[in-house]
Amino acid sequence: MRRSLLALLAALLTLPSAVWAPAASAEVAVQAYALPPGGGPHDVAVGADGIVWYTAQRTGQLGRLDPATGQVDLIPLGPAAAPHGVIIGPDAAPWVTEGGTNSIVRVDPRTREVKRWPLPEARGYVNLNTATFDKRGRIWFTGQNGVYGRLDPATGAMQVWDAPKGRGAYGIATTPDGEVYYASLAGSHIARVDLDTGAATVIEPPTKGQGARRVWSDSRGRIWVSEWNSGNVSRYDPKAKDWKTWKLPGDSPRAYAVYVDDKDKVWLSEWSANAMIRFDPETEKFEAFPSDRRGANVRQILGRPGEVWAPESGVDRLVVYRTK
Amino acid sequence: MWLLAGGAVTVWCSPAGADPAQGERVFQRCFACHSVVAGEDKLPGPNLRGVVGRRAGTQPGFRFSPVLIEAGARGLVWTRATLDAYLADPERFLPGTEMGLPGLRDAVERRNVIDYLEKSGPTLRRTP
Repeated sequence: MRRSLLALLAALLTLPSAVWAPAASAEVAVQAYALPPGGGPHDVAVGADGIVWYTAQRTGQLGRLDPATGQVDLIPLGPAAAPHGVIIGPDAAPWVTEGGTNSIVRVDPRTREVKRWPLPEARGYVNLNTATFDKRGRIWFTGQNGVYGRLDPATGAMQVWDAPKGRGAYGIATTPDGEVYYASLAGSHIARVDLDTGAATVIEPPTKGQGARRVWSDSRGRIWVSEWNSGNVSRYDPKAKDWKTWKLPGDSPRAYAVYVDDKDKVWLSEWSANAMIRFDPETEKFEAFPSDRRGANVRQILGRPGEVWAPESGVDRLVVYRTK
Repeated sequence: MWLLAGGAVTVWCSPAGADPAQGERVFQRCFACHSVVAGEDKLPGPNLRGVVGRRAGTQPGFRFSPVLIEAGARGLVWTRATLDAYLADPERFLPGTEMGLPGLRDAVERRNVIDYLEKSGPTLRRTP
């Protein structure tokens, strides 16, 4: 009933958005979009058409924002739903790691039809986290209880593997040449997945117990890692097989999410400063974009050329950093 | 209502129908970040062994979020009642909490997992 009311409210209201000038950089325009309250936007994804999708984890819905109008629509994913991640697939549809029902979900962007691929029952609850598509049309996903898996939507074939060091599999991403890497938060490592056999090879960052939470690739296929425990951002170069690590600004930073934009600038969410951080690998300089709301709690970042989107899970907003 | 640490110790016992075995199943939703195994303390969340009766934000060796530390300083103690409210909707109970759990909507699941946690370690008790 509560969800229906929220959906109705969202459909009726065009929600206001706020724009503010960032302190860090005049070339970045920041705009915040207020969302229906109580959803706790966890992850966000923007399509080539500019439409933004987000997981309203607390209310079990997928949200759709039209940034041109501020209009928000909410699509219920089921009574037990608690969606964690959302990405845009090669079919331009939002794909969801639906933790509440232990399933991979596709939402048709036109009809809003919800299609679900449950994990094998024998696996039990895996705490689905994040997903990524490879270049062969298959979706790879992580389950934080210690698994990763693969679904071929064309055939419905799904395989799930035990993560090599147990629980912790978290963020996952695909490089421009199609390699898939994931991060293990509890396991403090990243892993490269063999796309044919499914085997995961552990790659240890130089900082012990760093808490690798999310990964993203730059245009050269180098893997950027947000380290929650250490407050570092680190970069793994698969060709040279070497690491480079930088400490984020502040006394005790905590790097939650990482995303590399179209200009190869690295964006991170830093919780101690309640800020988004932009890192320039060429100059090795950090810029901070503090949120204007306390407890923004940005848990993931995604974008498209000229736009970086951050869901402020603690204050029910989506914030875009326009870099054009 | 929070139980104030240093004040009267609350009384609790397992409610009728509570099922710690089912609670262990529910705990799979917490398992990625928490453990009740003594010494398993390098996870993203604090070890929950003996959490019932503990003042919030005080587990030694764990780096808590500011809101948990502030709540503990204001007197929040993890009783069955406060755990129930927190687990039902963490963000509503403690805005700004870092815990990623979106909430356990089912009251029976919450009761069972709290029973499981209560049995995981020593808790404060007194005779009525």
